[in-house]
Amino acid sequence: MPDYGQIQVGAGTLDARLVLGLAFILFLLGAVGVLIRRNPIVILVCIELMLNAANLTLITFAAQLHNLEGQLFTLMTMTVAAAEAVVGLAILIDIYRVRDVDDIDELSELKG
Amino acid sequence: MIVPQIVFWVMAVIAVLAGIGVIASRQPIRSVLSLVAVMLALSVIFLLLSAQFVFAVQVIVYAGAVMVLFLFVVALLGPIRERTSRRLRFQWPLSILIVAVFGVFVYAEAQGIGFRAPDKVDMTFFGTVEQIAIGLFTTYLFPFELTSILLLVAAVGAIYLSRGGRTASEIRRQEEEEEYNVA
Repeated sequence: MPDYGQIQVGAGTLDARLVLGLAFILFLLGAVGVLIRRNPIVILVCIELMLNAANLTLITFAAQLHNLEGQLFTLMTMTVAAAEAVVGLAILIDIYRVRDVDDIDELSELKG
Repeated sequence: MIVPQIVFWVMAVIAVLAGIGVIASRQPIRSVLSLVAVMLALSVIFLLLSAQFVFAVQVIVYAGAVMVLFLFVVALLGPIRERTSRRLRFQWPLSILIVAVFGVFVYAEAQGIGFRAPDKVDMTFFGTVEQIAIGLFTTYLFPFELTSILLLVAAVGAIYLSRGGRTASEIRRQEEEEEYNVA
């Protein structure tokens, strides 16, 4: 039984597990960043890092399965990420207009 | 041929190091620039995996436009230093623990999963603009049109949130002045 995990890349091959492992590491780095950093901008940046890792898995499976839908979904993800970044940064600017926030834990007015 | 693997390993190392830079740097601007490095490294891997159009979009839209937006906001808000004191105790070790548990679960789930046999399609034109367009404008036309509405809503929301007008501090100052005048 052939190893379907090997992706044909030009004349050589690339193991899909390696690429998925890279995406896994990048996603975990982003998750750690969201949890330990307290600057709101850096937290948004870490969310972008996780979205990029998810994009990488979509592209990898698109190449492994010879199916273009993964790449189409990546384009959708990029659109959603752009919209999310724009709205998030607009909210941040609106908050900073009122006061300086150097710790996201300070933004707890909405808690019950 | 070993060339694709060399390219992949170089880009993977760059991506992981820049990813560590994203979460470890003190200043937000360094985090943003590290994320640009991650995106450029990933775009090369996209190219390896025959996603030419997504490579171009990643470089132009993502590393270009979205990250420039982040840079603008960082420049606008000025340097913000994170305080060393924390409200949440044990935030570091707890975060690492939670992410480690999540990672172990995902890793365990991924064990023993095989790959399905790839579809039989002509790989010569895989990932070209033409192929992407055929998929995007036939099968996925409806979600594609929905993303335009999403972008419109996001643009209107961003303009509404960041519009001019009285800020909360001005309102507060005005209220204080009125109280002073009454007194």
